Amino acid sequence: MAADALAVAPLLVPLLSATAALLTRRWPVIRTSVSVAGVVAYAGVVALVAWRVVVAPDAPGAVAYQVGDWPAPYGITLVVDALSAFVLVLTAAVALPAMLSSVRYLLAEDEDVYYHPLYHFLLVGITGALLTGDLFNLFVWFEVLLMASYVLIAFYGGVQHTRATLWFLVLNIVASAVMLVAIGGLYATTGTLNMADMAQRLAQPEAYGVAVGPVVGLSALLFAVFALKAGIVPFQFWVPSAYTAAPLPATALLAGAVKKVGIYAILRLYFTVFSEASVPVSLPGTAGDSPLAFLGPVLLLMAAASVVFGGVGAVRGRSIEEVLAFSSIGQVGFIAIPVAIAALVPPSAPGVAGLSARELAIAAALVYALNHTLAKGMLFLAAATVRSATGTSRLSELGGLAGRFPALSSAFMVGALALIGIPPLSGFFGKFLVFDAAVRADRTLTLAVLVGGSVLTIAYTTRAWLRGFWGERTAAVETADGDPGQVAVVVVMALGVVAVGVGFEVVFAFAEAAAEAATDTDAYVDLVAPTGGVEE
Amino acid sequence: MTLVLATLIGLLFAFGTYLLLRRDLVWVIWGLAIVSQAANAYLLTVAGIAVPGPDSVPVLGHGAEGAVPETADPLVQALVLTAIVISFGMTAFALVVTYRVYEEHDTIDVFEIGGER
Repeated sequence: MAADALAVAPLLVPLLSATAALLTRRWPVIRTSVSVAGVVAYAGVVALVAWRVVVAPDAPGAVAYQVGDWPAPYGITLVVDALSAFVLVLTAAVALPAMLSSVRYLLAEDEDVYYHPLYHFLLVGITGALLTGDLFNLFVWFEVLLMASYVLIAFYGGVQHTRATLWFLVLNIVASAVMLVAIGGLYATTGTLNMADMAQRLAQPEAYGVAVGPVVGLSALLFAVFALKAGIVPFQFWVPSAYTAAPLPATALLAGAVKKVGIYAILRLYFTVFSEASVPVSLPGTAGDSPLAFLGPVLLLMAAASVVFGGVGAVRGRSIEEVLAFSSIGQVGFIAIPVAIAALVPPSAPGVAGLSARELAIAAALVYALNHTLAKGMLFLAAATVRSATGTSRLSELGGLAGRFPALSSAFMVGALALIGIPPLSGFFGKFLVFDAAVRADRTLTLAVLVGGSVLTIAYTTRAWLRGFWGERTAAVETADGDPGQVAVVVVMALGVVAVGVGFEVVFAFAEAAAEAATDTDAYVDLVAPTGGVEE
Repeated sequence: MTLVLATLIGLLFAFGTYLLLRRDLVWVIWGLAIVSQAANAYLLTVAGIAVPGPDSVPVLGHGAEGAVPETADPLVQALVLTAIVISFGMTAFALVVTYRVYEEHDTIDVFEIGGER
């Protein structure tokens, strides 16, 4: 078993657990145990891959696996490098606690028969999208991921749930058609679908006879699709209804991991694949002449709008999960702003400590993504716990939770503080690096938006805290019956948020490696080693 | 030929988009189906004739020695097959959800079904 076969392992584990959970669906205890064991195995495999490929002292840094031994660009390529490993670790970090929590959250009856297979298929889709080195495969994995999330959103089958599913479904089918058009166009333009091969061809357009011009427009189409996945304004409409409709532990995975897949796809395609291309047009306000440079200002605008829209929406939220869902829109803006800054600075701009300014900004986005995954995942699980205990999550029906459930409330407080960015929690470093990136790029207006967004974050977390956790105990809270298992999961995740903040050096080293992997096109091409396609 | 195909695909996209913006949900589903199929038709047109060689038609290249016939790029057809299956499944699911919405709301008018709540 060679090291490169490790790349396929994170994909096989959830596939096996999904099948096993389907086969054992008649026996609830076995079904649930199999499913939990599957997620534990997934987390283990992801940790192993991250260790063996990236973190260990003698690690190769990246591996590529050619499925069926067909050489690139014909075969399907799976790639694990620091960037995909980083996002994989994020996924596993929220998938495991969310599954543990959902075991107690879903009612014991037959409610969870199809929940477990769906959960694992969602993991299959996320993992596939993170590992694939082929553009069309990315489309296929997106559809796998979407199919599972449609059904999870429709899971309870109530009026609100079907409606949320319908809007989400219609939006995403249109997005899929747009993505197909973009992928087809890129194939027609570059003659390849393998991402490494495409990067190679775009870097030397004359040698391969590639016209780079159309790539700008086609990459903009793709960008719209990824922005929809990430829920960035103006593609955010589906987020609140979908996130409040899905079972809350599944929402933790949707907000924690699926959104990051959109961000990951933007990083991978625009910074690794398209960044070497140059189009002989210069526009005011852009740095350089690659499709990436044209994208920067647009993304910056969209991200800033997300921060404002999400923050304002969250302040008006009526239930805990509504506040959290809107907050997700705002927080993904905080992740997208450094990505946009990375696109706006010239690739050669100096940074500190051996990292260029671009790599620093990407590392900031990744650290913030990590913080958001942990903190928001934990907050959604805390909302699930409150809902299990009290039967409601509407802020108007809650109050005085802090006295009733001190451990759960402290964990919620930690999550809220991490979103705000208080040291020594993980959120502090995320916020700090994002502000640092904005200061380095000398963007005063962006800084103002970031500060405004942070103030809004303080406003909505404080409001949720005051309404839900302090004040008079309502009848629902008085008669509440908290589940110790769910509370334990939330508390452990809160400790994780603290641990990431305290042991930040390790995390940042990983994020640095991921940022370097995202910008190093040559290494990516060498790794996959496409033979150059038809021309050879 | 290229012009005819381009016009046709453009019209399909336009018509699909028009249907997507209707108030009647069944028309919206029709719009989804048409937009997906337009994307598939577009995908078919993106590749032309492949340069003959064992690399372009791996199946032929593995078996027979010597000449490989000039052929249409097979990759695109594989992509379209995949895309058709996916869009078929998604459209079917959309129809089911629409029926469910009709059961719950007794209407398929988008405005009467309402927004997020």
